[in-house]
Amino acid sequence: MSAPLFKYGLFGDNMGLVVAFGIGIGFGFFLERAGFGSGRKLAAQFYGYDLTVFKVMFTAIITAMLGLYYLSVLGLVDLSLVYVSPTYLLPQIAGGLLLGFGFVIGGYCPGTSCVAAATGRIDGFVYLCGIVVGIFVFGESFSLIEAFYNSSSMGSITLPAVTGLSYGLVVFLVVLMALGGFWFAGRAEKKWAHIRPE
Amino acid sequence: MMKLLSGWTWTQKCALIALALGVGAVLPGSPYRGTRVSLDMKELGLIVQNETDHISAPELADWIIQGRADYRLIDVRSDAEYNEYHIQGAESIPVGELATAELGRNEKLVLYSEGGIHAAQAWMLLAGRGFKHSYMLTGGLDEWKDRILFPRLPESPLPAQRDSLARVKSVCAFFGGTPQSGAAEDALTDSKRVPKLQIPTGGTGTPKAAGGKKKKKEGC
Repeated sequence: MSAPLFKYGLFGDNMGLVVAFGIGIGFGFFLERAGFGSGRKLAAQFYGYDLTVFKVMFTAIITAMLGLYYLSVLGLVDLSLVYVSPTYLLPQIAGGLLLGFGFVIGGYCPGTSCVAAATGRIDGFVYLCGIVVGIFVFGESFSLIEAFYNSSSMGSITLPAVTGLSYGLVVFLVVLMALGGFWFAGRAEKKWAHIRPE
Repeated sequence: MMKLLSGWTWTQKCALIALALGVGAVLPGSPYRGTRVSLDMKELGLIVQNETDHISAPELADWIIQGRADYRLIDVRSDAEYNEYHIQGAESIPVGELATAELGRNEKLVLYSEGGIHAAQAWMLLAGRGFKHSYMLTGGLDEWKDRILFPRLPESPLPAQRDSLARVKSVCAFFGGTPQSGAAEDALTDSKRVPKLQIPTGGTGTPKAAGGKKKKKEGC
């Protein structure tokens, strides 16, 4: 049996929702265990004295990338069936900036705010309320921004396709980038350690 | 070596493993499967025998009228034939260009040609490329014309047939066709020319190919 399991029909839509629920709970659990349920911990990366979020996320990226790569080389995953989110350059840049501002101001991103709310943190609930309001405003104003929302469509592109580099080389370069990032994060944490609150 | 590593932290050892795996990734190259594939003849035989690779003309017409966006309709005839007439929402990808066309293997593809032979060959080519969700329009455009654009209606229908005939007429009108009645010779008259493609006003939506790419709600 190869993966992706859902695309190969191992289970149907209903069972897929059960599996997604299990994965979601697992995702939330590990976010909480990594300390991502705390707005202080998350906001700390913008001050530079604690870059745990950056390191955990980058670790997750290269772990998933290496895992998928080697499983596909071994024939256990069909990468061409793995969904690649299509790129809409300008709206995604705008969305990324909006999410970034929200992250800096509120101390959470959408996923971690759910984790915070699930563990009873009031600021997490407030952030979740903000998300609901944002979804409502987005839905109601969608007709006004629809043209921009669908603009600069580039299809489902990947780094090897854009750069022309071989897939394996891109994997290697991303690993190098991550290791460089970890080194940089370690230096930054030492440099800004003096502003860490007691 | 072991002595050197014994002084390292767990984080540093993990980083070394990641680096080794990253270096190793350069050697195998692309993980995507190439053009050489193996076909499961038994599976293909069952698909053909059970006709699970077929979509009937009325079924496709319903999909288009409903504005379903979960499939791509592919016209595998030549560009000239496509420009002369094509089913609403169809994309033109002649058989010869299928090998290089940008098609996702997880997309539902409905193929059609004039009679069905080219669509069947295109289906087999795609099956060879590992496409498991491609379908053929039964009877091709010929059947599309006979059942959707120019359906033959009885001159004096039975009362029990009225509802289904009204449905056939409304579908026919949606696609700009003309119901036929009377003797079979009428089939060759001028009244049975393929209508010019025009977006019908009675539809509830546009199919994916005609309405631009829609963002899929999948992923994080």
